[in-house]
Amino acid sequence: MDRPVAPGHFSGPLNRHGDGAFTVSVGGIAVQFSGLSEALLPAAQERYSPFLSDEPPLHTVVLYDGPEHYLDMAEDGFMRVEERDFPEGRIMVSHDFAAFWPAGASAGTLRVSVAFPLSKVLSAMENYLRWCVADLAIERGGFVLHSAGLVLEGKAYVFFGHSGAGKSTATTLSLEGRGALALSDDLVLLLREGDRFLAAATPFQGSMAQRVKEKGLCPLAGLFHLRQSAEVGTLPLARAAAVGMLLSCCPFVADPGRRSEYLLPIVEDLCRAVPVRELLFRKDPSFWDVVLKREDQP
Amino acid sequence: MSEETLPKRNPDVSWRTIEGQAVLIHNRLGEIQVLNDLGTYIWEHLELGPEILARNIAQEHEVSVPDAQRDVEEFMQALRGSGALADGTD
Repeated sequence: MDRPVAPGHFSGPLNRHGDGAFTVSVGGIAVQFSGLSEALLPAAQERYSPFLSDEPPLHTVVLYDGPEHYLDMAEDGFMRVEERDFPEGRIMVSHDFAAFWPAGASAGTLRVSVAFPLSKVLSAMENYLRWCVADLAIERGGFVLHSAGLVLEGKAYVFFGHSGAGKSTATTLSLEGRGALALSDDLVLLLREGDRFLAAATPFQGSMAQRVKEKGLCPLAGLFHLRQSAEVGTLPLARAAAVGMLLSCCPFVADPGRRSEYLLPIVEDLCRAVPVRELLFRKDPSFWDVVLKREDQP
Repeated sequence: MSEETLPKRNPDVSWRTIEGQAVLIHNRLGEIQVLNDLGTYIWEHLELGPEILARNIAQEHEVSVPDAQRDVEEFMQALRGSGALADGTD
């Protein structure tokens, strides 16, 4: 049976996991985790090592002990992560953790059992980081996109699509066949800077090792919706279709809180600022020829 | 058709028209719909009701009123099926 969780669950006497703290920066969005136990701190720092930062945090989350059960498993076996709005703020809850982000605050609370193995606590922290970065990115005119981000000659090219579209394949082919640098093969942060957009690596766990990811912000040269095909080429996309395809590849688009109302104009602006095309893609690095050729055209 | 029975947009759907095509986000489902020109016209003018919509479309696109009525009805059904319209309206 699901445990009911309301803002009161995060107040009163709570026990911190410990006194450890560290900060992760995702494209300049710095989030500090504090209240870590002696055992958890080095494990978390190792996990996020290329993204550790001394920047002043935009957001801080404190880890407190919590019950071992919140939500029951879904019948379909998929992980349940639910977000609920309250006048006092927003709650994210899953099977074994719950988090609270008070309205207008730059600090949140994550409750996860101290009895859990470190891997489970790290997983809860990762979910919090995704939640937090997704929202802070929107506040800065950006968003996180399910995509592969690749950097060639200092410019970022982002290949997006649903699971199985070829993001990891495009990444592997580009690293091996083109000497490209990779931001991520799963989630890329896109941020507005003036009238242009930048792409950044994210520390979220995918199939790529953290150390392989290229850090820093790169100017975004193009976005390509992956479509597997025997032929290689690009096709134009009507702007509304491009916006729809991008939105469908944004994590957390299903959340309440009208997040999508903020996201829609940002994605539309992106589609005005950066070329978005359909990429007919087969499993060899030749797709780069058409990607770079498009960029040469006026 | 009274005002109460006019089709209404589901308040859980965020939308925006981009270059003549409406992009709908079903917030809870996380699903996206992109409507064509005609679908966008119907979506943007739902409050007119199916009969007036069909007459306007017939006039604008030089099709018969019955054909336009059928198209409007089919599209409304599709919108209902996708959850884009609020429950309890027709």
